[in-house]
Amino acid sequence: MTRDNIASRRDILKGGSALFALTVGAASALAPRRAEATQMTVHEKDLYEAAKKEGELTWYTSHSDDVTAQALGRDFESIYPGLKANVLRTTAQVAFQRISQEVKAGAMQVDVLSSTDIGHYVYLKDKGLLEKFVPTNAGKVLDIYKNYDPDGYYYVTSAGLIGIGYNTNKLKEADAPQNWTDLTDPKWKDKIALGHPGFSGYVGTWTVTLRKLYGWKFFEALAKNNPQIGRSINDTVTMLNAGERIVAGSGPVGTLMESAQKGNPLAMIYPSDGSVLIIAPSAVMKGVKHPNTARLFMEYLLSPEASKVWVDHFNEAIRPEISPTSGAKSAKDVKTIRPTVDEITKGIPEVIKQWRDTFGV
Amino acid sequence: MNGGLDTLAQTAKPTLGRRLRWLEPSMVLWGLLIAILIFLVASPLVRLLLSSFQEAETGRFTLANFVEAYENLRHLQALLNSLELGVGVALLAGLFGVPIAWAISRTDMPAKSFVRVMVLGAFIMPPYLAAISWILLAGPNAGWLNKIWMGVTGADHGVVNIYSMAGLILVVATASYPYVFVFTNSALDLVSSEMEDAANILGAGTLRTIFRVTLPLVFPAILGGLIISFLEAIALFGAPALIALPAHFHVVATQLWQFFEYPVKVEEAAAYAMPLLFITIFMFWLQRSVLGRKGYTAVTGKGGERRIIRLRAWRWVMFGYALFICALSVLLPTLVLMQAAFAKAWGRGFSLDNLTLANFRYLLFEHSQAQNVVLNTFLYAGATAFAAIGLSLAIAYVVNRKLVPWSNVLSFLCMAPFVIPGIVLAIGFYAAYAPPPLALYGTATILILGFTTRFLPIAYTSSAAGIRSINPEMEEAVRILGGGRLTAIRRVLAPLLKKSLAGAWILVFIPATRELSSAIFLVGPNTRVISVMLFDLSEEGNFEVLSALGLLLLVVTIIIAGIGFRVIGRDFMLRRT
Repeated sequence: MTRDNIASRRDILKGGSALFALTVGAASALAPRRAEATQMTVHEKDLYEAAKKEGELTWYTSHSDDVTAQALGRDFESIYPGLKANVLRTTAQVAFQRISQEVKAGAMQVDVLSSTDIGHYVYLKDKGLLEKFVPTNAGKVLDIYKNYDPDGYYYVTSAGLIGIGYNTNKLKEADAPQNWTDLTDPKWKDKIALGHPGFSGYVGTWTVTLRKLYGWKFFEALAKNNPQIGRSINDTVTMLNAGERIVAGSGPVGTLMESAQKGNPLAMIYPSDGSVLIIAPSAVMKGVKHPNTARLFMEYLLSPEASKVWVDHFNEAIRPEISPTSGAKSAKDVKTIRPTVDEITKGIPEVIKQWRDTFGV
Repeated sequence: MNGGLDTLAQTAKPTLGRRLRWLEPSMVLWGLLIAILIFLVASPLVRLLLSSFQEAETGRFTLANFVEAYENLRHLQALLNSLELGVGVALLAGLFGVPIAWAISRTDMPAKSFVRVMVLGAFIMPPYLAAISWILLAGPNAGWLNKIWMGVTGADHGVVNIYSMAGLILVVATASYPYVFVFTNSALDLVSSEMEDAANILGAGTLRTIFRVTLPLVFPAILGGLIISFLEAIALFGAPALIALPAHFHVVATQLWQFFEYPVKVEEAAAYAMPLLFITIFMFWLQRSVLGRKGYTAVTGKGGERRIIRLRAWRWVMFGYALFICALSVLLPTLVLMQAAFAKAWGRGFSLDNLTLANFRYLLFEHSQAQNVVLNTFLYAGATAFAAIGLSLAIAYVVNRKLVPWSNVLSFLCMAPFVIPGIVLAIGFYAAYAPPPLALYGTATILILGFTTRFLPIAYTSSAAGIRSINPEMEEAVRILGGGRLTAIRRVLAPLLKKSLAGAWILVFIPATRELSSAIFLVGPNTRVISVMLFDLSEEGNFEVLSALGLLLLVVTIIIAGIGFRVIGRDFMLRRT
């Protein structure tokens, strides 16, 4: 009896705070927060209750730049009060390096991994290091993002395009490279910025795709142009903003368009031979410290709320309900190219080696 | 600790007590200290050595790690690059440090204390922050210096390219010339002018005297400084990662990091690290044998008058040179770091509409980790300083008062980490203590233990010097009057040592706040420190946020150094160790 009373009082409090959240949300014209007591499904509610006992999760992500990653973490925390998302943004290979160290030391620190190298998931699943979990939201994403792993270990939670970026102060659109092979033109000597496949999963997939299209001789020709080589694909945007280089040979559409929105002199060319489409999964790791929060976070990454954050930061939405941001072209509107999962899994370790031989780092 | 053991012995059964009586408490203490040192110093190193000869899966003996580590030409090239970097840095640091040291010690150059403070500032500036600021200063197209050059001359490209071996040498030299300065300066302070006078009387001019008499007299000290700079340079990880990679070359430290990519090859990394270890040991041996040589007895520290050389108009030239070095190492880097930290986009330059606090707001309020990271950094550095001072003080006491036989073994182990590059030490620590049974991976403990080991030599040098300066008679007086050794330590030794211990604490604390090379393999997601976060953020090239974070680190460090200044006196950091 008493217990019931307490429970109902708690429900009233919850209802009240949900209402409050709604009003605040509406008043400040923010994206509508989910009113927890009303809209949460039983499954979600159960997960949330279990997650509250864990209190937090650690998320290794390379799906976006640090700003977007932190925004996703804050959004998750505001939907599920009482939970903390410990967001650690690095490049895909660095995240994988940390995980390898953790596996070797027998001390898993990570809960959810969001790598941009799909080969990581193939490997981790094969080694039994992923936890099987079927999010209810998994069936609600756009068809092209469904069923990458029929066994239910990993799910596509973000997607992005790579094109050619350029600095509009130093280059007119007509003069900018229009397709990938243009980048090998000697007139771009000392003018191109690239990421590194040994760090960035985006650049790794990009390299595999272009090797498939034009063979490794494309990169040997590119090396003659002495590109600046950073680590993350996002570094190319920094290089353009600073005026250090004027063409981003591997230009991440999302990061670049967001930076352009902030007033930096940037624009995007969607190459005529196809923008590279990156499809990036997430998974819950096996034997983690916060399994329920991790599962809830997977549900979140596949939710319309997360897609909203993604498009706010000029990336693709994986949910059909959310329409893309004006200004950035979506994968639907441009010619895209991408290798198969098999080609990526086998290809990335190969191109990292080739890259080091050709570029010296 | 000793007290606890005493009580333990007293409360134990009498038979046990009798049996333990032959075992003096000091022996127990010695055993305990040696156990700690074996844990901290010997075991990770032995583990590193062993694993370089082990097969990854089976643990069987093999030489394959060495073959695999060195069959690749790029790996060999990285080793050569490291050596080139080391030699270049040592020479340039000499060119920077020696003239300033001479000017401050022996001439009437103006604004000496200003220059001293600047050298101290260069000492405080972590090399990776120097690297970031030099990317802002001398990026080939966007760097400030190049933009100014292009503006003035109308050239279409810049004149300095930081993304090169020469650029890396410059950056590292600006961070490590204070070692040469300290060594040379303190040696010059001990040389009396008598021999210079003799040279003058025999007709030698000032220049001739400097090069034929003064500098040769302090040559061992200069060499010592050069060797330290060389060793610092070849062990560095952060600055090369920021500059060498875009410049398309590797050094040993960045190559070592690559062995930790999937699949993690600790064994190959251990094998690859061996030359670095042996080079370091060899250089230390070289330094010792040069410094220990007879024939430099002029540097006695006793008597003799030191005369200031009047440079007349040249004093301004000398000051100009010193100012130039200060600009390269402190003034310009700090200026551009501040500009970037408060800028929306640093490339847009110094203008009001480019000013923002957003980078600090992002770090302190919007970032899920930055707050914790800043807290962790200073907590771990503080804990490290206490642990290193406590341990080294106990050992220095035991060694100096000769409480136990073979006490030199203790002091040898204490100093041994000096010859281990940070990144190598971290690999040893990772191999030894990350996996079960200790399973320390991802804990604060492994970081603090790693840092403690890394900075034990600094702490020990200070502690030993402190203990040596106190005459044992005072403690003996306490003991004659019936007080125990612990009372003597607590009531006599500790108060007398307070000041020098505080100085030693800061000397450990400051490098511990900025340590990157050993932290990089030991941090977990919840134990990250500023240096590692800077390194991760730098992947995206995000210089505005990087500069803001770097500035936070600098400000706190300067405050603490400032407190040290006030409490302990100006020269505590530049003391010869």
